[in-house]
Amino acid sequence: MQFNLVVAGVGGQGSIIASHIIAEAAIRSNLHARVGETFGAAMRGGAVASHVRLGEVLSPLVPEDGADAVLALEPLEGLRVAVRFLRPHGSVIANTAAVPPVDVNIGAAAYPDHEQLADAYARLLARPCFLDATRLAVEAGNARAMNVVMLGALCAAIELPVSRAALEAAVAARVPPKTLEANQRAFRAGFAAVRDARAARG
Amino acid sequence: MSVVGGGAPGTRALLMGNEAIARGAVEAGVRVAAAYPGTPSSEIVEALAVAAKERGFYVEWSTNEKVAFEVAAGAALVGARSLVAMKNAGLNWVMDSLMTLAYTGVRGGMLVAVADDPAAHYSSTEQDTRTAAIYAELPCLEPQDQQEAKDMAREAFSLSERLELPVVLRSVTRLSHASGDVVLGDISAAPAPEPGFNRHWRAPYRWNVYGPPGAVKKHEWLHSRQAAMLEYAEGSASNQLDDVPGAAFGVAASGVGAAYAREALSALGLEARARFLKVGCVWPLPRRLVGRFLAGLERVIVIEEGDPVLEQGLALLARELRIAADIRGKIGGKVLPPWGELNIDLARGAIISGLEGLRAAPAAAGASRAAAGASGGDGADAVARAEAKREAGKLVAPRSSTLCAGCPHLGTYWALRHVVYRAADDGVPVTNGVPVINGDIGCYEQAGYGLFSRAVAASDDPSRRIKVKSPYEMLDTLYVMGSGIAMAQGQRRAGHDGPVLAVAGDSTYFHACIPGLVNAVTNGTRVTFVVMDNRWTAMTGHQPSPTTGVTAAGGAAPALDVARVARAVGMDVVLEVDPYDLEATRAGIADALACDGPALVVARRECALQVARRTPRPAVTTAVSEACTGCRTCLELGCPALTFDAAAKRAGVDGLLCVDCGLCRQVCPRGAISDSSASSDPTRGA
Repeated sequence: MQFNLVVAGVGGQGSIIASHIIAEAAIRSNLHARVGETFGAAMRGGAVASHVRLGEVLSPLVPEDGADAVLALEPLEGLRVAVRFLRPHGSVIANTAAVPPVDVNIGAAAYPDHEQLADAYARLLARPCFLDATRLAVEAGNARAMNVVMLGALCAAIELPVSRAALEAAVAARVPPKTLEANQRAFRAGFAAVRDARAARG
Repeated sequence: MSVVGGGAPGTRALLMGNEAIARGAVEAGVRVAAAYPGTPSSEIVEALAVAAKERGFYVEWSTNEKVAFEVAAGAALVGARSLVAMKNAGLNWVMDSLMTLAYTGVRGGMLVAVADDPAAHYSSTEQDTRTAAIYAELPCLEPQDQQEAKDMAREAFSLSERLELPVVLRSVTRLSHASGDVVLGDISAAPAPEPGFNRHWRAPYRWNVYGPPGAVKKHEWLHSRQAAMLEYAEGSASNQLDDVPGAAFGVAASGVGAAYAREALSALGLEARARFLKVGCVWPLPRRLVGRFLAGLERVIVIEEGDPVLEQGLALLARELRIAADIRGKIGGKVLPPWGELNIDLARGAIISGLEGLRAAPAAAGASRAAAGASGGDGADAVARAEAKREAGKLVAPRSSTLCAGCPHLGTYWALRHVVYRAADDGVPVTNGVPVINGDIGCYEQAGYGLFSRAVAASDDPSRRIKVKSPYEMLDTLYVMGSGIAMAQGQRRAGHDGPVLAVAGDSTYFHACIPGLVNAVTNGTRVTFVVMDNRWTAMTGHQPSPTTGVTAAGGAAPALDVARVARAVGMDVVLEVDPYDLEATRAGIADALACDGPALVVARRECALQVARRTPRPAVTTAVSEACTGCRTCLELGCPALTFDAAAKRAGVDGLLCVDCGLCRQVCPRGAISDSSASSDPTRGA
């Protein structure tokens, strides 16, 4: 078994912590885990992609077109990663709250709108699932728990090689203790958002 | 207890490569550890600093890598197990000491852990430390994953004591900054040598290269260690041969390259059909094992990150052993590029290319598919997929990296830009000629990154004034730690008559700029030096700098003062400003530029991230009013908390990022950015 995921976001959104939570859950489930991280130089504001590989894996990077899923903490960053790494018919779980790059703010580049993103994912044969995780995190009591909302959404959206219980236990082990309750609410909110959207579609 | 300092033996834990190296050192009973922070190596000593408090050994953040190396070397001379960690570029500072320490060796085990950065994610070069270890004639280990990083780091100390030489451990970004599951080992009371000192330990004048019998004899002694090094290499568990009797095709790989190569071989179904040599001790190479690997092979593909070190080593041994194998890698056949980093796709492509034209080629599963491109599929499918990726890729706007919301450097750069580039427009011609702003290494180096969305054309003009509209296009030169202040002096002395400046941060100032500063004073060279003092070594993750007043272990330390040090070495013009006060900062830089001799401006304010971490977050009060005309002047500040709604032609503030620093309120020509609270003090929120 091999499971490949790329967590994409902007520096400061917690993509590394989200990746470590998944890897921690895997280790607790007796699987091997690798997380290839990109961080350290531009701490905030830069594009961050974190490669999570579980099962029979040795190396830290997902091959091109080799990701089973992309977890996008920011919509543009999800597409950036999906174009290169998502396999055909792979899943994208994407936050809809945009963080525009400085290049867009100064008018030197354009930010794709939701329809363009959805079209692009269709062309890539991706199976996208969108939710406003930033709003759900604020509602859960901590805007910084957006990454954990996304973990809940991931857990509901696709079949992971780790159980929901293992994932929730890893969340509890890895988030700061005083934010635990907000993070637990965040996880449930993300899970429910995807499950309810599925149910609404029938 | 942290996992590194106290994780129970036998536990399987998720460790970053750097943490794994730290854990190995703890298991070996390291007594002294030192480093200057440098991505991707910093977490080695960060993790050790936490473990040091738990287990009672000594860890420091040193002024620079050379100092760190010498602290560790000094500890090893008196018998302690010591570790020094650094990034690739840090080793350049250390080379003088490394080359020379090799001539005397050490008594206590000494581990030199260096994290290289193939693909230069965080570095100015892709240099390969393995080449430096060979240059210094010291053993070099290269782990393939986090488990091996821990095990090698642990073993390096006893190996170092056996050889009486420092041992180099070469990591790379994808190992140091990747995490994997690691089974922890015993934290034993390791049998380290007793502390003590003997000038003539096992050789006359052991710790003094000039002492009789002199450096040449000491070099001869270093060579006498090679037999023991080779013996270690032959028996090291990190060198592994997966033999396939009678195979014509082989793959040799080292470090993280071995992990990519194994996965590629597995994907191609070649594990049982290609001979595989995994090398963990890259210098010296295990001759007998390499001989067994090469025997009878028609072709070999070499997969390694960095320079063709293993490839050249294998080629040399093949010639000595009179084996005619066709060895291909970054030189032979050029099947891999000698720049950039590896991945599974590159490893797979290299292996497939190696099968072509073999007399007895093993059949590879899916080789034609892989050869057709990583995107997979054949013919029409592959073309359609490539087209879909190209179209979707067009939507992916670049995301240039930025300074943080409320970063004090934003204020300094705004002021600097307005002095240097806008002076003529303001009718105050402070500057004539083309300005040269020399950069340095730290967060503020992002002022040299440019914007990826903006196309730039080269020109052949020998001198040209470039229009600059954001902080991210400010720096004209950008090389290495401390290079800016000295290069500025050469530019001035060559006769360049435009404004000549250099910028540096406080940590870099103490690391590398003091000799350059002294040079400007003693030679009286007219340069303007702007030190952006944010009280931390921020870029590498907020380690304490000499200005912070905190030790690695969190204890109190004297907080050094950039301005006082400059005055002490004879710098007469030293101006201190608050970068959140744009007018004062502008005036300070303009005054410094107008001086006849060297002048220093210290723009001092603590890193906004550190302030935010310590202080409870009040509601953001910065807001854009109806008076905004959409002129985008505020966006030239380069603050990521400022947004722009192109449809409404209005600026906005991202309430999640904004820290109410007040900079944008000072730059808005319409007064449209207001503080919704009563205060109008521009430095409010400090």
